[in-house]
Amino acid sequence: MTRPRGAAVLLLLLAGGGGCQKPVKPGDPLPGLSRAERDRFDHGKVVFDSVFTPETGLGPLFNATGCGECHENPAGGRGDEVEVHATAFHAPVCDPLAQEGGPVIQQHTTPALKQALGIDQEPFPPSATARAMRTSPVIFGRGLLDLVPDSVLLAYADPDDRNHDGVKGRPNRFVDGRIGRFGRKAFVPTLREFNAGAFAAEMSVTNPAQPTEEDVGGKPLPAGVDPAPDPEINQEQLDLTDDFVRFLAPPTPLKLGKEGRRGRDLFSHIGCASCHIPTLRTGYSPLPALNNREFAAYTDLLLHDMGADLADICLGRATPADFRTEPLLDLRGAEHFLHDGRATTPEQAIELHGGEGSGARDRFKALSAADRAALVAFLKSL
Amino acid sequence: MQPRIRTAALTVILLTPLVASAPTDWRSLNSAQAAPSYTYQGTVRAVNARTGSLELITGVGMSLRVVRMTTAPTTRLIAAGATSRFADLKPGDVVRAECRRTAAGLVADRVEKLAVGTP
Repeated sequence: MTRPRGAAVLLLLLAGGGGCQKPVKPGDPLPGLSRAERDRFDHGKVVFDSVFTPETGLGPLFNATGCGECHENPAGGRGDEVEVHATAFHAPVCDPLAQEGGPVIQQHTTPALKQALGIDQEPFPPSATARAMRTSPVIFGRGLLDLVPDSVLLAYADPDDRNHDGVKGRPNRFVDGRIGRFGRKAFVPTLREFNAGAFAAEMSVTNPAQPTEEDVGGKPLPAGVDPAPDPEINQEQLDLTDDFVRFLAPPTPLKLGKEGRRGRDLFSHIGCASCHIPTLRTGYSPLPALNNREFAAYTDLLLHDMGADLADICLGRATPADFRTEPLLDLRGAEHFLHDGRATTPEQAIELHGGEGSGARDRFKALSAADRAALVAFLKSL
Repeated sequence: MQPRIRTAALTVILLTPLVASAPTDWRSLNSAQAAPSYTYQGTVRAVNARTGSLELITGVGMSLRVVRMTTAPTTRLIAAGATSRFADLKPGDVVRAECRRTAAGLVADRVEKLAVGTP
């Protein structure tokens, strides 16, 4: 019996080792990265935390001087900045107003542009039919979301509500027709493009993916206001930043007590989980840390009509009322909720759900006070 | 290290960042000389069949740009595998345009209307 007992002890030790795996904190890299990948994460964080100046590529229009200005709390996660987006909706067509500087309307200018044009921010597009406020999104776990196959998203879509649960869900499409998933309107197909676009849209730092500078409201930049040659960062800097964001892990949810477990059950029972799908699985990746990984996502990455009260801009095929199901990652670190930060508690955020979310909202409101508290306790564990 | 090897190593170290950060325009200029054609895939923002103007929305992530081109009498529009008319193209359509750069700007040789899946 010595050998089986030894094997059993070994199994117990291995199982125990897995159970005692160190919790992932906000800002930590994904577990299981190789040394080389960990090095790229560290070097990417240096670029991510860089502060740009006009001489190194900032502006002439910008929202922030570096990625870390908006995604700083903690270690590359969320921030408290709010930016302005604008588009024009002429149903069924959405014009992102690229010819007038949209959809991201930069709120700052460099001193040289201010001197040349006398403006402190990008002019609001005259053709806009709506204005949207956008908080800085959490960026943990985005490398995992990037690798969920499109076929999984399409399998969750139910645009005609064939199961009659009042929840539809459909994917958005980028300007070239590909399925989108990143951004509050699920407009951008891949994390790599989202990151490269953010350099250009948020800091006006041109890069190999977006080598042309944005003009000012459709007019060319005045001479001499953009001293850095394009592209203002090179491919390696772009790749390192992309790897840093890609390797940022979703924080480990807190251990649930009895109340939290009750809340988790209610989350599914009242229908929150119809859109906030608790777990997703990545497809193939050559990187073992990202390959075929099941992870807590709490999203279907699809658009849902959230009602007239939340409606703001269109984008791609998203109507003003359509929003992507927000992944519920690092919710316990949030101080503001919803796409524009208008809710200050999870309860408020739930109560502001309309449209396809109104059924779950009404069932939440009908719960006893103890059950509502349990559901919120669960959300605050994420 | 031998002086010659050291010199070669130093040259590589000094030149690598210059090559890696070379402007994309410089690289595309070289490739453009070899094959002066461009392909854009994007959403039609505006089209005027009478004047032959076509504007596409393209871009990367949330950073979008408008690409302006003209069509010529010889420009072919393909939709669902068949030849179509530019008058049938409308804002919101997704197209792939094969163009060449001329002194007058981009001229489309072939425009294909793409069937984008629903949902």
